[in-house]
Amino acid sequence: MRYIFFFYMSVMSALLLDAATYTPDNLPIPYLQDRTQYVSNPDGILSQEAVDSLNKWMGLMESTHGVQTVLAVVEYVEGGDVYEFCMALGRKYGIGDKEKNTGLIILLSTGDRAYYILTGRGLEGTLPDAICKRIENTQMLPSLREGDWDEAMLNTVRAITMYVDGDDSLVGKSDFDQEDKWVLIVFCAFMLLGIGLVAFGLWYDSYQKSLCPSCHKHSMKKISAYTDTKKKLGIRTHHDTYKCSNCQFTKLRTWDEAIAAAGGSGFWSGGGSGGFHSSGSFGGSFGGGSFGGGGAGGRF
Amino acid sequence: MKTSHIVLIAIVAVIVFLGGCTASTYNNLVSQDEAVGRAWADVQAQYQRRSDLIPNLVNTVKGYASHERETLEAVTNARTRATQITVDPENLTPEKLAEYQQAQGEVSQALGRLLAITENYPDLKASEQFSELQAQLEGTENRIAESRRLFNEATQTYNVNVRRFPNNIFAGMFGFSTKAAFQAETGAEKAPEVSF
Repeated sequence: MRYIFFFYMSVMSALLLDAATYTPDNLPIPYLQDRTQYVSNPDGILSQEAVDSLNKWMGLMESTHGVQTVLAVVEYVEGGDVYEFCMALGRKYGIGDKEKNTGLIILLSTGDRAYYILTGRGLEGTLPDAICKRIENTQMLPSLREGDWDEAMLNTVRAITMYVDGDDSLVGKSDFDQEDKWVLIVFCAFMLLGIGLVAFGLWYDSYQKSLCPSCHKHSMKKISAYTDTKKKLGIRTHHDTYKCSNCQFTKLRTWDEAIAAAGGSGFWSGGGSGGFHSSGSFGGSFGGGSFGGGGAGGRF
Repeated sequence: MKTSHIVLIAIVAVIVFLGGCTASTYNNLVSQDEAVGRAWADVQAQYQRRSDLIPNLVNTVKGYASHERETLEAVTNARTRATQITVDPENLTPEKLAEYQQAQGEVSQALGRLLAITENYPDLKASEQFSELQAQLEGTENRIAESRRLFNEATQTYNVNVRRFPNNIFAGMFGFSTKAAFQAETGAEKAPEVSF
């Protein structure tokens, strides 16, 4: 009888746990699919408005200060140890920049009634444990006690943003790091060289055309021009008249330009519907930052 | 004439090959040895961090619970004893490491007792300063645990490399020997449980 009871209990608890217990491996990370989504809210504990605000603030924190954040609000974490959960999450994804280690994990487990702010190694100066604790005590706890999860998270992230903003040593990752910069410089140099060559070619062409065959001065100028087009052949012939301003020598220059043949005029129509999708979302990637165990947590 | 040439070339090739193997093994061992040294330095730094927190903590508790002299002194004394023991990464022998772990374990125990008595002082527990100090202490214990884990990992990688054939031959030649790692907790070194 007792065994049946235990079996029943374990099945029940397994079912209950299945509902909303997360491990670092099965916690969804929306950031990987869309880099504007920092919040993992799989149980829908936070409201959509709160999630949007949080995403905006944390996006700003990453772009201006290079602080990469993951904020997760779940019902239960496996084992109920929020610190271990955060560490395992940090280890798994390598949240934060690899060199600066500016990753940040904020976890609230409403069922375990526990929370943790885990700071990457590079953030321990900006957000020392005592400051994390102070933020939790003053910003998070009062709302948590009232069960206002939205407010708790909004206040917490707002306070963290203030500390991060106050640290000038934290700078956002520029779009190009050192190696990319050189690639860009070389690319630009080649572009300029190409433009220069084309410009020189155009100038040289007109310079040659301005040479007067009679007095050998560069004083020939185009005084009139007309074209006749042979559509069937796909040729447009230009007749340009040049006159030398020095010796009044005139010369007619004719040259042919290839144009689309008559039958082919419909070639371009019908095309043009491209495969571009505007406002696509780009997945983010984590930098490989490491966590040394800094931060603070608590229960409520 | 021709055969002797072939033999000579073969011998040179073998020597070059062995030399290359030795060099790469040696370099590997050196960098892994360095990694262990760095990990150990981090472990010591984290213990030092805890050590630095203790005077502040003791003073704060003293302000609310001055008559708990015995417990407070136990912490201070354990800290003094522990700071006297430092281990050079060059001689990370099991004995030295055990001695270090023992001394730091005593600090942990004394701290645990101190935190236990703070339960009796609601004013102390409610103070912002104590709450933040406690968070710092807890964070430091976490850092210690993490640095010890990384140290053990680095040591394991190094030890496996030193003991594996044929590396063990070269390791013996160049004087690389296995290093000690932290032993599993016996309860003494568990981070003090902090309740809220």
